[in-house]
Amino acid sequence: MKTKTLIFLLFAVAASVFATKEFSSQSQNDPWTTQQLLAPADLANTLKNPKSPQPIVFSIGMQAVIKGSIDIGPVMEKDNLDQLKQKLDKLPKNSNIVVYCGCCPFSRCPNVRPAMALLKTMQFTNYKLLNLPQNVKVDWIDKGYPVSE
Amino acid sequence: MRTLILSVLILLFGSMISTLSAQSTGLEIGNKAPEIRLPTTKGDTVALSSLKGKLVLIDFWATWCSPCVEEQSQLAKLYSKYKQSVFTNGKGFEIYGVSLDAKKSNWENFIRTNKINWIQVSDLKFWRSPVAKTYNIQGLPFNVLIDDNGMILAKNLHGIDLEKQIGSFLKK
Repeated sequence: MKTKTLIFLLFAVAASVFATKEFSSQSQNDPWTTQQLLAPADLANTLKNPKSPQPIVFSIGMQAVIKGSIDIGPVMEKDNLDQLKQKLDKLPKNSNIVVYCGCCPFSRCPNVRPAMALLKTMQFTNYKLLNLPQNVKVDWIDKGYPVSE
Repeated sequence: MRTLILSVLILLFGSMISTLSAQSTGLEIGNKAPEIRLPTTKGDTVALSSLKGKLVLIDFWATWCSPCVEEQSQLAKLYSKYKQSVFTNGKGFEIYGVSLDAKKSNWENFIRTNKINWIQVSDLKFWRSPVAKTYNIQGLPFNVLIDDNGMILAKNLHGIDLEKQIGSFLKK
């Protein structure tokens, strides 16, 4: 009985270590932390309140859907990534920056990783990734948040 | 006698209501698929309703959507296989591709490079396309299979499930 219990415990520990390793390696692949994810509702509230300090919002995907955002284009393309770098070169390192794509879930998005990696490499200190788990339609447009004209 | 006439009238009325409801436009299986009228790469407008009489797959996709791009080769095979087939609910098979691309050049280049020979339309409005709202699209790829009268037969089938479903409608 004791041997069986011991084997079960060893198996459980091994499984949990494996699961943790898997989880952490997936997280390590993404060039952002959970704290750097910005909730769409928070950005929408900020944009709706002109008295609130406004972030610089870059669209790094297919189309600048969010009101007031700067259209860089998909940064999976080198020219667009270079254009983002040029814009960032002119900004102080502590600028309040938000980037978003919203084509598809992060796991499939070809644009969020190059943009966040660039911000990290350039040593910006106050940048966020807009958390659009499905896409910009479901998580922004359908919620009635401000869109560009 | 009066009770009998009244019962028959109630049954008739109920049947009329149920028929009307079954033909209403909506997104459920059995509903009439909402109309789409969008331009092709050349600018000509093609209405979904113009395909009446055929079995039609409405394929919502975009060049920026990797699973959609991967699926195009399977669609090409299905199109080639069933284009001229006779189904229990349509004569011939057509694909009505609706792209949620934002850039015309990306859309055009993909169609040309991949020799896509079925109908392709787009308003190039990305996720802001009114069609995405009308069809309540939550993510890509997404598709709707409709019969010769534009009634929804199936939704969001991919791979072998899609092929089986189309094949099941073949007239024996």
